Amino acid sequence: MKVTLPDGKIKEIELDEIRIEEILRTLNINPVEVIVAKNGRIAPEDETAGYADELKIVRVVHGG
Amino acid sequence: MISMLNDAERNRYSRQIRLFGEEGQEKLKRSSVFIAGAGGLGSIVSMYMAAAGFGKICIADCDSVELSNLNRQVLHRTNDIGRHKADSALDTLRSINPEISIETMVETINEESIDQLLQGCDLIMDAMDNFPTRYLLNRAAMSRKIPLFHGAISGLQGQATTIIPGKTACLRCIFPRAPPDAAFPALGSTCGVIGSIQVTEAVKYILGLGELLQNRLLLWDGLNACLDEVACKPNPGCPDCAEQAGKMINGQ
Repeated sequence: MKVTLPDGKIKEIELDEIRIEEILRTLNINPVEVIVAKNGRIAPEDETAGYADELKIVRVVHGG
Repeated sequence: MISMLNDAERNRYSRQIRLFGEEGQEKLKRSSVFIAGAGGLGSIVSMYMAAAGFGKICIADCDSVELSNLNRQVLHRTNDIGRHKADSALDTLRSINPEISIETMVETINEESIDQLLQGCDLIMDAMDNFPTRYLLNRAAMSRKIPLFHGAISGLQGQATTIIPGKTACLRCIFPRAPPDAAFPALGSTCGVIGSIQVTEAVKYILGLGELLQNRLLLWDGLNACLDEVACKPNPGCPDCAEQAGKMINGQ
């Protein structure tokens, strides 16, 4: 699975089909600080992702 | 038909009239906008909206100008330090465009004040620095069925999206939870990128031009000079917009 991290770096991880929240936990990313796009579309954390999926993890900014 | 524009306005907006005609300029003149915040984003949003000729601009901000604001909050000047941002904003915007109506309010945006603040406004510009107030603006946009133009920044990063009630994902659909409310780094030019996108969206919305940033979250990564976007869709279980969407489907 190709995962784009919040800093723009790309990581290949090998995991079976699991929930996105588990993937965040594996990567040591606090789910409160990010949203995750699966194949280009924002996906809830309880959705699963597998080998063929591409994830993009985006750090949410809140300043103005 | 008699033009709404006087000679000075026709001259002032001549480069825009080339873009969308006098009719388009008149539409902007008839528009009334609420800008939430006169900080980094609020500076860019309000100055470009004033310059573009939005007919009525209301801004609310409860803070005073501090020295540490001046790297990005270009509405305010060094000699404005200690003044209410609302007062400083009024001076700057009046000097940019005396043809429009500007109302600035020293007011905290909260449940108690929101109704009064939004009275008569056609669109809401999100220039806040925190998610709890953004959610309040989001709910107000949903209940009034007026668009919300979201923008947020941190350091060299920013995000923007256009929220049209009943048509697009709302702010809560995209961001179900507020990120931690930590102090954020800020570069003025990042506010420039995101605030400019918000204003462009508002102009397009009023004039019915092009494709809006709807159901798309635009992401600006200034560090890598990368502009990206992710798609989003309304959440049928969203606590902020699902009920409103249901009412619209049922014709209420």
